[in-house]
Amino acid sequence: MAGLNFENYQRNSYLSTKGFATPRATSTGTTIVGCKFPGGVVIAADTRATSGPIVADKNCEKLHRLAPKIWCAGAGTAADTEMVTQLIASNLELHALSQNREPRVITALTMLKQHLFKYQGHLGAYLICAGVDPTGAHLLSVQAHGSTDIGKYQSLGSGSLAAMAVLETNFREDLTKEEAIKLCADAIEAGIWNDLGSGSNVDVCVMEVGKDAELYRNYLTPNVRSQKARSYKFAPGTTAILRESVRDILDVEETVVSFDQMEVDTEA
Amino acid sequence: MQTTVASEYSNEIHSVPIEHRFNPYSDNGGTVLGIAGEDFAVLAGDTRQVEGYSIQSRYEPKIFDVGDNIVMTANGFAADGVALIDKFRQQLKWYKFDNFGGKLEIKSAARYIQHLLYGKRFFPYYVSTLIAGLDEEGKGAVYSYDPVGSYEREQCRAGGAAASLIMPFLDNQVNFKNQFIPGTDGKEKKPLKYLTLEEVIELVRDAFSSATERHIYVGDGLEIKIVTKDGVRTEYYPLKRD
Amino acid sequence: MSDPFSINGGSAVAMVGKDCIAIASDLRLGNQSLGVSNNFEKIFGFGDKCFLGLTGLATDVLTLKETFRFKTNLYKLREERSIEPETLANLVSSTLYERRFGPYFVSPIVAGLGHKDNKPFICGFDSIGCIDFAKDFIVSGTASDQLYGMCESLYEPDLEPEQLFETISQALLNAVDRDALSGWGAVVYIVTKDKVVKRVLKTRQD
Repeated sequence: MAGLNFENYQRNSYLSTKGFATPRATSTGTTIVGCKFPGGVVIAADTRATSGPIVADKNCEKLHRLAPKIWCAGAGTAADTEMVTQLIASNLELHALSQNREPRVITALTMLKQHLFKYQGHLGAYLICAGVDPTGAHLLSVQAHGSTDIGKYQSLGSGSLAAMAVLETNFREDLTKEEAIKLCADAIEAGIWNDLGSGSNVDVCVMEVGKDAELYRNYLTPNVRSQKARSYKFAPGTTAILRESVRDILDVEETVVSFDQMEVDTEA
Repeated sequence: MQTTVASEYSNEIHSVPIEHRFNPYSDNGGTVLGIAGEDFAVLAGDTRQVEGYSIQSRYEPKIFDVGDNIVMTANGFAADGVALIDKFRQQLKWYKFDNFGGKLEIKSAARYIQHLLYGKRFFPYYVSTLIAGLDEEGKGAVYSYDPVGSYEREQCRAGGAAASLIMPFLDNQVNFKNQFIPGTDGKEKKPLKYLTLEEVIELVRDAFSSATERHIYVGDGLEIKIVTKDGVRTEYYPLKRD
Repeated sequence: MSDPFSINGGSAVAMVGKDCIAIASDLRLGNQSLGVSNNFEKIFGFGDKCFLGLTGLATDVLTLKETFRFKTNLYKLREERSIEPETLANLVSSTLYERRFGPYFVSPIVAGLGHKDNKPFICGFDSIGCIDFAKDFIVSGTASDQLYGMCESLYEPDLEPEQLFETISQALLNAVDRDALSGWGAVVYIVTKDKVVKRVLKTRQD
């Protein structure tokens, strides 16, 4: 990040003292979860993004890549989770390059929490951060103010209670990879059905020790819209037009012609 | 008066004490819609009831057959909606006792509901109300109200959470707004016509499935009450539950 | 109504068709309920097949239009080619997020075709730069709720350019007619691989 610009902050807080409302950001009123299993870790998320009561994006991506084998699920202000994640991903790669080592989950988490703490909670990013590194598989979470948690299973976002109900019921220490994926997907589904801030599909990411991370985008799609009762195609010419202008797009092809090939009229 | 903002944060310090007060209203979401046809009328509503981000019920019907071939709904704050409809039903009972069981015409019901709503002008029922039925000539009728009783008879009306999503669609597909006859250079409007019951049901289903996609307070189920000269009939269609 | 997003009013919408895209906006500029101009276009072109729609506070619309004109001109000078829609989307996103704690009061939309492969691309943003990638349609402005309702019911995938024009026009027209702050004329751009057609629509004037 080249640094944030605070010029409009002055203008806008002046505006808000005059009674102007402050803008409404797209929030991922979300369900995200993560759970460990022997030899790896799974994280999952729903795919609904809301702006107030309106669904802004039915299939957004809440699973972000920090490093090839470190992924994180984001809840809260969508722009913040996206940007903070991109920034840390970038710094983490530079760090890994300079140290000539694979990046560690704890490094990513420390960078995230230090950044978020610096902004005193004003960056609304709530993240579940997971991955595998030379020290094994890890599952951690970080809140907007910079506090962090460690756990074998975690959930965050508006659907976290619904998801945690499933995690608390079905989690075991000896889950297989497939069982862990199923548990995470079930927990997200609980959020999708029972929390209005969450919906649409389930995304899953599996990180196993000694293997490449696997992203299952739209692992479950239990909310495909069914066929409409009617087609709403209009007869051409239904809309009234006042003016029309057309601009043709032409491909310009440039060829170089050398002088000796050029015919020059020397007569005149 | 302060005209510029201080560069430190003095302007962010609140010196006024925070006031707490009981709020008697809440928003229970849901959406309703009424369309009048030539010899029928429909009232449709989703069956989801919410509070905040939680679903209170996936099947809580809010369209009611209130008698005398009239269907009614009051969408918004659910408690007020139920109270209003109960009150109307009770008054209709008294009307029948007083008038030897005579039928209450829909225009009279409409005017009476205005008085029920305006009677609470300064502590309103927090609802958008719709009624549907047949008029004295047997033509479909839909009446719609604001929370304090201002009302109008219309061909169609959407109310509740996703009213703003559905209403322009109805303008376009029921009253053919902004549609012209091709080749007339925008001079001749597409002529109005009564829709059949089948067409209306299709429009209602598409309106609700679309609203379900984009509004988090709409979903679970769609219940449609259809009024014809033969009485009131109910249809149910499932909606997405996420 | 002291929300900066709805002082001037205005709406925009973009849709994807079969090998084409459409982007449309109304033409109103107002001061609260008072109409001021019926010729305030909210769609701006950057290169042949790449368009940016800006709704919200008019002063920020104009400021950002110029900012992006400046930035895309520099980009063209450096790269010796026009900006791709995907690249413009990321430029818009980072420009908005730079002002995270003092946002521009706009909700932009981007629509275009890839310059080489002519692949349709549309996306939308919130005021702090969160990108909404959509495969079907994007809406923004004071009639966004109405547009969501219209688009969700009228839209179907793989429409031919002429069909797409009717669908986006009807979606916009009927949406702005149910919004007091939008309307007063409308303009639609239909972008295909070899031409851009701009049509000014006949609309209600109230």
